[in-house]
Amino acid sequence: MKSSTKRKLKSFFTAPVIVSMIILLIVIILAVFANTIAKYDPNEIDITSMLKGPSVEHIIGTDKSGRDMFARLLFGARTTLLSAFAVIIISVMIGVPTGLISGYFGGLADKILMRISDVILSFPCLLLAFVFVSAFGRGLINAILALGIVYVPMLAKLTRSLVLVEKNKVYVEAAKSIGFSDLNIMFVQILPNCIATLVVQLTLDIGYAILDLAAMSFLGLGVQPPTADWGAMLEEGRIVITTAPLVAIAPGIMIIVTVVALNIFGDGVRSYLDPTQRKVPSLRKFRKMVGAENE
Amino acid sequence: MKKYVIDKIVQYIIVLVAVSIIIFLMVRLNKTDPVSVICGGKQTTPETIANIRAEFNLDKSYMEQYVIWINGIFHGDFGTSFQYRQSVTTLIANRIPVTAGIVLLAALFSVIIAIPTGIITAIRQNSILDTGISVLQLILVACPPFLTCILMILVISSTSPGFSFTGSYGNFGEFIQRISLPAVALAFSMIALTSRVMKTSMIEQLNSNYKLVATAKGLPDSKIILGHCVKNASIPVITILATQIGVLLVGSVLVENVFSLAGLGGILIDGIKSCDYPVVQGITMLMVFIFLTISALMDILYGIIDPRIRIK
Repeated sequence: MKSSTKRKLKSFFTAPVIVSMIILLIVIILAVFANTIAKYDPNEIDITSMLKGPSVEHIIGTDKSGRDMFARLLFGARTTLLSAFAVIIISVMIGVPTGLISGYFGGLADKILMRISDVILSFPCLLLAFVFVSAFGRGLINAILALGIVYVPMLAKLTRSLVLVEKNKVYVEAAKSIGFSDLNIMFVQILPNCIATLVVQLTLDIGYAILDLAAMSFLGLGVQPPTADWGAMLEEGRIVITTAPLVAIAPGIMIIVTVVALNIFGDGVRSYLDPTQRKVPSLRKFRKMVGAENE
Repeated sequence: MKKYVIDKIVQYIIVLVAVSIIIFLMVRLNKTDPVSVICGGKQTTPETIANIRAEFNLDKSYMEQYVIWINGIFHGDFGTSFQYRQSVTTLIANRIPVTAGIVLLAALFSVIIAIPTGIITAIRQNSILDTGISVLQLILVACPPFLTCILMILVISSTSPGFSFTGSYGNFGEFIQRISLPAVALAFSMIALTSRVMKTSMIEQLNSNYKLVATAKGLPDSKIILGHCVKNASIPVITILATQIGVLLVGSVLVENVFSLAGLGGILIDGIKSCDYPVVQGITMLMVFIFLTISALMDILYGIIDPRIRIK
C-alpha cells in the first residue's frame, strides 16, 4: 500500500511538472515580495529616464513614463495573479453550489439552472464580459466580476456531471439511510469526492483567467492606469514596440511562462489522478510496454 | 427526425430571445445618461433634450424600446448610434468586411496548418517531432493573439519596413495585406486546438478497420492516408472550428485593435467606453446571432447525417 502511493507520487513528479512548479513558485514569491524585491515604486514617473534600455539601475529598462519595468513587472504579477484568483473564487462560489444542487436534486431546479447556463454559454466567453463591463463600467473589479460570472456555467456543468456519477454510489445511499440532511450529503459527503477533478479544472481556469483578464486590460476595459498589470503593460508596450520592444516583450513572456506552467501543472495533476487520461506515455514507458508485449 | 429538427429550432429561438433580452437590459444598466453622450458635453436647452429623447425613442418604456429594436432588426435597422449620429447598420456594414475577412482567413489558415501537423504527429507518435510540436502547442495556447500581433509587428518592422499593415485600405490587394497578419495571429491561437483534434481523429482513422482492409489489399500507406484517412479525419477539425466561431469573432476584436483596423472590434470597444449602447447591443447581438446560428445549423446537420445523435 505504502509503496504504491510512493510510486504514484513519483509518477506525479515528472520533469515538466517539477519545472512548472518551480516557475509558479518563483512567480508567486515575486508577486508576494514585490515590495521588498523592487527597488523602485512601480508608479513613480521619471521623465528624465524614459524608455531606457536595461542597465544596472533598471534591470529591464524603463517604460514611456520612465517607470522601472522590473518593479512594474513584479507588481503586475501581483495584480494579475490576485485578480485571476479572484475570478476563480467567484466562479467557484456560484458554480459549485449550482452544480451540486442541479446534479443532486435534478428535476425542475436542474432544468432551470442548466437553461440559464446554456444562455450564458451562448455568448462567446469574452463578449459577455464586454457586455457586463458596458453595463457596470470599466475597471478591474468589474472585469473580475464579469469573468467570474462568465466562468460559472462551465464549472457548474462539470460539478453537475461529477455529482450525477457520485450520487448513485453506495455511500450516498448509506448517508441517506442514516438520515443525513441533503445539505450534509451534498457538501460533506459528495463534494470531497469531486474536489480532485475540480481542482484540476480550476488550475487550468486560472491560466485562462490570466489570458482573458489580460485581453480586457489590453482593450482598456480592465485595469485602469497607472496600476501595473501584465495585460495593461502589453498595451503600453504596443505603442512603443519599435523603439523599446522590451516594454511589451517582458510582460508578454511573463504571461506565456505563467500560463504554460499552470497548464503543465494542471495536466500533471490530471494524469496523476486519472492514469487513463494520460495522453502521451513517456518514451521509456512506451518501450517497456512494447518490450513486455514481445516477451 | 422532424421532431429533432423542430426541437432544435425551438431551442435556438428561445435562446436567441433570452440573449436579446439580456443584451438589451444589460447595456441599459449603465447609469450614464444617453443624452449626455449624444450631445457630447455641449450646452443644451430642455427643448433639444426632449427632441433628442424623442428622436432616439428614449422617452418610451423599455418594453416599447425593446419591441422597436427587435422589429428594426428584422427590417435590417439596428438603430442609430449616439456618438456617430449614424445608422448602426451602416456602421456595421462598413466595418464587417475586415472582421469577416480576419475570421474566415484565420479559420482557413488554422485548417491549412492543422491538417499536416495533425497527420505528422499522428503517424509519428511519440517521436521528437511530436514532442516538439506539442511543446509549441502549449506555448501557442498560452500566447494571447494580441501578443502574437505585437511580436509580428516587431519582427516585420525590423525586417521589411516597407510592409504596411495598419490603417485604411484602398483596393482588394491592400485589404488582404491588412488582414493577413491579424488573421495569422488569430490562427496561431486556434492551431493548438485544431491540430490536436486532427491528431486524435487521424489516430482513430489509422486504427480503423477500413485502413486494415486497405493495407491487406496492398495499397501503399501514403495512398491510404492521403486518399482516405485525411478526408475522414478533417471533418472534426471543421466542426470544431465552427463551434469556435465565437472565439474567433472576439479574437478578431483583439487583433483589430492592435493593428487599428476599421473592423467591428474598434467601434464595439469604443462604444463600450463611451456608453454608445445602440452600437454595443447591435454588434453583440450580431456576433451572438452568428455564433448561435452556426451552432444550431451544425447540430441539425449532424442530426441528419448521424441518426445516433438524434436519439440522445
